Amino acid sequence: MKKLAENKPPPKKRGTVKIIEERCKGCWYCISYCPTKVLVVSPKLNEKGYHPPELKEDPPNKVCIACHLCELFCPDFALIVEEIK
Amino acid sequence: MSEKKKTTMEILREKVEELLRTDRLPHVWCPGCGIGIVLNAFLRAFIRAKMDPNKLVVVSGIGCTGRTAGYVNVDSFHTTHGRAIPFATGIKFARPELNVVVFSGDGDLFAIGGNHFINAARRNHDILVIAVNNFTYGMTGGQHGPTTPTGAYTTTTPYGNPDRPFNIPHLAISLGVPYVARWTTYHLMQLQNSIYTALHRKGFRVIEIISQCPTVYGRRNEMKNPLDMMEYFRKFSIRKDDATAEEMELTYNGKIVVGVFRDVQGIPTYEERYEELLRRAQK
Ligand SMILES: Cc1ncc(C[n+]2csc(CCOP(=O)(O)OP(=O)(O)O)c2C)c(N)n1
Ligand code: SF4
Ligand SMILES: [Mg+2]
Repeated sequence: MKKLAENKPPPKKRGTVKIIEERCKGCWYCISYCPTKVLVVSPKLNEKGYHPPELKEDPPNKVCIACHLCELFCPDFALIVEEIK
Repeated sequence: MSEKKKTTMEILREKVEELLRTDRLPHVWCPGCGIGIVLNAFLRAFIRAKMDPNKLVVVSGIGCTGRTAGYVNVDSFHTTHGRAIPFATGIKFARPELNVVVFSGDGDLFAIGGNHFINAARRNHDILVIAVNNFTYGMTGGQHGPTTPTGAYTTTTPYGNPDRPFNIPHLAISLGVPYVARWTTYHLMQLQNSIYTALHRKGFRVIEIISQCPTVYGRRNEMKNPLDMMEYFRKFSIRKDDATAEEMELTYNGKIVVGVFRDVQGIPTYEERYEELLRRAQK
């Protein structure tokens, strides 16, 4: 049997999302599927007339955990997740 | 301050950027179109496979999916409608060392290009086919095609499609294709891992990706926005690798059986058989 000490909890990663606004077309998959709900629809428009996402000041489920899910969902290559330590 | 060490995922993201013709972005695909998700998964799988981009060739036909060839920063061909597979087999024949990937739509591969598909599959040419199935001809305004589910509404089937669609994995398996898988654009990691595996296999490999075309298909079929289509994939897909042909069949807004339906190795490819023939003839 595995010792308990081996089952360490996963590292507590923290991240932030860089948004390339001019590439965004406003499908909002990122907003819908973010597990910690750190993204919201930005009130501003990009040059194509879409509302890109923006980082929420005070997200309901705490912080970006750098899971990179939004990066994988984004059909427009508009998101870059960076880890902060 | 010292430079922070980049994580694997951060490096992957940077390399995705290198494999894209970023000067051509934003791309032509509509908001929420699934093709971009598939392209992202493909690029990531390719990077993870640590294969040489100078030896990769992406071949596309005509259609929205066909535009992929124009966005990858590797040698690529945007061929005539339906002819992606003949171009690809030609490339592979002339330059067997190249890694040839066909990236095209359902109409391109199975309607006008259907005969090329079945014959290339039968001969087991060494190419990977990424078939983006959005149930319709997206580019030309949403006509029905050979993959449109029975009953679906399109511009050319205003009372519902009376035809029965192709069962692509079943078709491929019946032709002896060594690697056959189906995913949806919701299966981000499964799709990426499946492409990664397929890149390491030999012979004709087919991955069908059920993708959303919210603009001309979704809005006529009770899925008005991109998220509705993504939610359909999330709620209605089930993984079953040993699915029977009947289970693989797609029905109108019904369940989508996904998985790796066939993965066998050791079947000689067309190129291998041809080389062997040359050896015998030259003796
Ligand atoms: C020889 C020829 N016939 C018809 C067309 C018109 N045409 C352009 S794209 C297309 C269908 C594309 O459908 P699909 O491959 O499913 O791509 P999608 O746009 O859905 O990604 C058709 C019929 C053409 N360009 N060339
Ligand atoms: S028409 Fe459909 S397939 Fe074509 S880019 Fe728009 S959503 Fe995608
Ligand atoms: Mg199509």
